[in-house]
Amino acid sequence: MLDRKLVFVSGKGGVGKSAVTASLALLASRRGLRVLAVGMVEGLGLAGHFGVDRLGYSPSQVRSGTEALTVYRDEALDEYLRLQLHVPRATPTKILTRALDVLAETAPGIREIVTIGKPVYELWQSRYDLVLVDAPPLGQLFSYLRAPNTIADLVPAGPIQRQANHMRESLADSELTSLVLVTTPEELPVLETRATLDRIAVEPVITLDAVVVNRLLNALPIDAEILGDLPEGPHRAAAEHHLTTYRQQQRWLQAVESELHLPYLFGLHTAGEVAEQMADVWDELI
Amino acid sequence: MTTQVLVITGGGGVGKTTLSAALGVGAARRNLRTCVITVDPAKRLADALGVESLGNQPTEVVRQPGLWAAMLDVSAAWEAMVHRHADPDVAQRLLADPFFRALADRFPAAQAYAAGEQMAEHIESHRWDLVVVDTPPAGGGIDFYTAPGRMREVIGGRLLKWLTGASIPGRRALYKVTARPALRLADAVLGGPLLEEVADFLMDLRSLYDGISHRAKAIDLHLQQANSIVVTTAYPTPMREARRFFEELPLDAGRAQTIVFNKQLPPSWSDKAALRGADVAATTRTALRDNLSNWAGEVRRQHDVKQAFAARHSLQLINVPWANEPPTSVESLAKLLTSAPALEAHLPVAT
Repeated sequence: MLDRKLVFVSGKGGVGKSAVTASLALLASRRGLRVLAVGMVEGLGLAGHFGVDRLGYSPSQVRSGTEALTVYRDEALDEYLRLQLHVPRATPTKILTRALDVLAETAPGIREIVTIGKPVYELWQSRYDLVLVDAPPLGQLFSYLRAPNTIADLVPAGPIQRQANHMRESLADSELTSLVLVTTPEELPVLETRATLDRIAVEPVITLDAVVVNRLLNALPIDAEILGDLPEGPHRAAAEHHLTTYRQQQRWLQAVESELHLPYLFGLHTAGEVAEQMADVWDELI
Repeated sequence: MTTQVLVITGGGGVGKTTLSAALGVGAARRNLRTCVITVDPAKRLADALGVESLGNQPTEVVRQPGLWAAMLDVSAAWEAMVHRHADPDVAQRLLADPFFRALADRFPAAQAYAAGEQMAEHIESHRWDLVVVDTPPAGGGIDFYTAPGRMREVIGGRLLKWLTGASIPGRRALYKVTARPALRLADAVLGGPLLEEVADFLMDLRSLYDGISHRAKAIDLHLQQANSIVVTTAYPTPMREARRFFEELPLDAGRAQTIVFNKQLPPSWSDKAALRGADVAATTRTALRDNLSNWAGEVRRQHDVKQAFAARHSLQLINVPWANEPPTSVESLAKLLTSAPALEAHLPVAT
């Protein structure tokens, strides 16, 4: 998972994709890689897992060997125009920015390509060994991953189209780029994950690396049969709760092909603690 | 009785739709003519209500007299909105326009706004004592509240003003002299006649402004008068979404004063009760203790974050207990509501 250069981490909202992104970044930097973690549409989750309040658009060091940033659209648009489209200095960029602003509100793909353009640009710059992206949730993922295709269809020629094609090639290059999907062993996250896998099979805009199952309960060394003989009370209720949830989880676990299982982490209070402990788990897994 | 409105909002996956349905069942059982508007096509829920399929028009829930349900079909609502606010020929042009489709598909405020228009229609039909609205999850639910203003901004805001100057009611807007050369310049740099096309489309969109502006105000008013409840679970992502609600929404926008934590474990697990009268092997005894200790830690953690959240924003905190199985019938929906009397108390009383 850490041998690609650009790894997108996505999943249904709330399954822990920011925690997985942050913990993979921590693991990679423990192993000596220079890592950049990118919060693509909302950096608050990622920031919390690195123990900071917010992340800026410029990379800041969050751990030794790990830098992180959040993509803010206005700054990304400006950078896209100057660094990616190489709009000449003589061009009044104020008018261009304004015009593109109009476009971003209405034309499909503009906002998305500017946003996904940032991590791809960082990949091209090769300042890091690994760029890990806390990507948008599954519901929005494809409008970002497909943005280069959408734009290339919309604009017949010129720098935007060239740039879009280049981006499309980088995203689809399985040596460079991959996608990690995070799910929890529950109905809706698993069904959405499977729908995403089906879609990637039809539209191979990116290569799937792995599906990670998060918050998996361990088997309880208690025979379900004896619970009925126990007196009513919290011991019995908690055991019943665990066993019932465990059974449901195992059912949904069967519905995804995955060997990467992250345990339910009991009793941890801060997001920073979650990421560190998850990185320890990763260290044993991969 | 005037129509009362209960808005159930929050991020995705927290159980809003189920709670909305449970409140609908509870209201109908209080002899209130009730309509639940949902955005979520959760099939299991339709099954639980015994409804084959839901559409924009309310369907009667046969298994629960007095309850009706409608599901918001965003693209149909979007089309209805255009026909309502535009001249027939403009409407036709807009609905055929690829940019317009893109706007409807990917601009979350547009969908949330269309949902708001639907809500207003149902409220103003005066058919109901209570309308329960299960909001679209975009932006953690907050988009539903900000959408009317955002729509006004997009259609009447600075971008269009820049293109057209001030609008003259009843007249199709024209380009400002300075805008067209700027667009041409931009197109030359970017490589296509893109911006000029978009600008033409925006001119058409502009003709919707008066209608939408008027309607947006009505939606805002309905939201201000509604009883709003934010639903979350005690996990970080939905709580972060819920927090936005109380930090970004102005008080007079009909901001909720109640937070519902759904799927909560029993608070009694936090006391380390002795395991008495259990005749089990020592290993089982240890396993039972360890397991309770794990879950009790989880209960304590959730208790702490919930209390802190409610205190910081001065909110009423309601817990809805965890159910081992999701509700699969009208009866189990009613039971779910009974398990949270403080939530049930938010239902209006029949007169």
